Amino acid sequence: MAERPDDASAKLEQELRRGVIVLAALSQLRSAQYGYSLRQALAERGLAIEEGTLYPLLRRLEAQGVLASEWRIADGPPRRYYTLSAQGEELLVSLTQSWRNLAGIVDGLIGEDQVKKRKASQ
Amino acid sequence: MTARAGSHDQLIEAYVLDITRRLPRRMRNDVAFELRALLSEGLRDRAADAGRLPDEAMALDLVREFGQPDDVAARYHPPGEPVIPAAYTSGFAWATAIGMALQWGVSLPLTLSGDLAPGVPEDGRFTAWWVSYGLGAFWWPGFLVTMMLIAGGVRRIWPPKVSEWTPRTKIDRDHINRPAMMLGLGLALCGVATWVCIAWIVTTFESPFSRALALDPGFMAARAPAVLLFWASGIALLVVLIVEGRWRSLTRKIDLTSKVAACVLFLWFVMGGRIFVTDAADEMTKVFLVLFIVMIACEISFSVWRQRARIRQPQPQTGPTQTQPQRG
Repeated sequence: MAERPDDASAKLEQELRRGVIVLAALSQLRSAQYGYSLRQALAERGLAIEEGTLYPLLRRLEAQGVLASEWRIADGPPRRYYTLSAQGEELLVSLTQSWRNLAGIVDGLIGEDQVKKRKASQ
Repeated sequence: MTARAGSHDQLIEAYVLDITRRLPRRMRNDVAFELRALLSEGLRDRAADAGRLPDEAMALDLVREFGQPDDVAARYHPPGEPVIPAAYTSGFAWATAIGMALQWGVSLPLTLSGDLAPGVPEDGRFTAWWVSYGLGAFWWPGFLVTMMLIAGGVRRIWPPKVSEWTPRTKIDRDHINRPAMMLGLGLALCGVATWVCIAWIVTTFESPFSRALALDPGFMAARAPAVLLFWASGIALLVVLIVEGRWRSLTRKIDLTSKVAACVLFLWFVMGGRIFVTDAADEMTKVFLVLFIVMIACEISFSVWRQRARIRQPQPQTGPTQTQPQRG
């Protein structure tokens, strides 16, 4: 059965976002953040990530050694703060470079397509 | 839904526990503690934005947006290897279906005829089959899954060496194996020589064997000479193949035709009357000839299947998905 265009569009957009969530999260973890504060920080910059996706992701990245975490109880209720590990720092540099290359290429492709469309419509 | 004091906290706690019971025991408490705190903080902010106190309905909305416990728990696990990798799903489904169909296809008729259900009345045989061989056949998919699990475990413990792709089969399917073809030619010539002298060979046997293996005069007069014609064409084809060193379209067609002719010839031998004078030798020979016919039919099917184009040109689509010509 063919997928409805709305469903397909939502799924493709979700896949696109999923690809950048790790990089977005790592970019904000040079200073320690706990799950909710990280979500707020990303949302304030225009990238709203579902909590159900973000919190498990932090745990997985920690298990992979990309993040380090600790419980802090100094300023309010106990919270688990995450920050980049040395491996995470390296990964962030590498992913940033990849992202910039990819974004440049895709921007170029989209730009060419739009120029062609404009020419065709004239 | 009525709001009770602290009921939203209980709801969040129930939801968190529903997630963490799907996680490995060692991480359950830590994740539960963190998740409960995060959800509670989210609920407080949501209530502050709404300008009212948090309640159970608001908490329910929050956790429903968070996701189904199964899905959320799955996100805590690193992406694992599925028991049946996607590339093997179709093969697994076919192996399951064929294995079960074979078991049912053999056991059902034998049970209904009473062979596998001695003493069971006729109207109870189907039930007897279902509760024994019918349901019992489900061992097969279980066995396949277990094998896949073991294979996955072995791959995890001893990961296969990643090597460059190499073709599984010979790419040039038209190339022939000359030594094998020459051996086939030698055997064919021996067969012809034996067949030409068969009547004399039988007379050289001792009395009981010569009588038992005596060929029927009607067979020798009408049907036996046809084998020589068949062999002659086969030998000619072998000689051409040995000289040319590879198959061509024409030689493949001749080969296929000669196999069909062999089936027809053997069928004529079986149906056209006696081959041997004695019943035992005649029946035994005909059984072997029927087996030969089946084998050759299978070979013909395999040859046709191998000769088909493996990658076919797709049919051009018509309709709205077709590319529209550009206006210029």
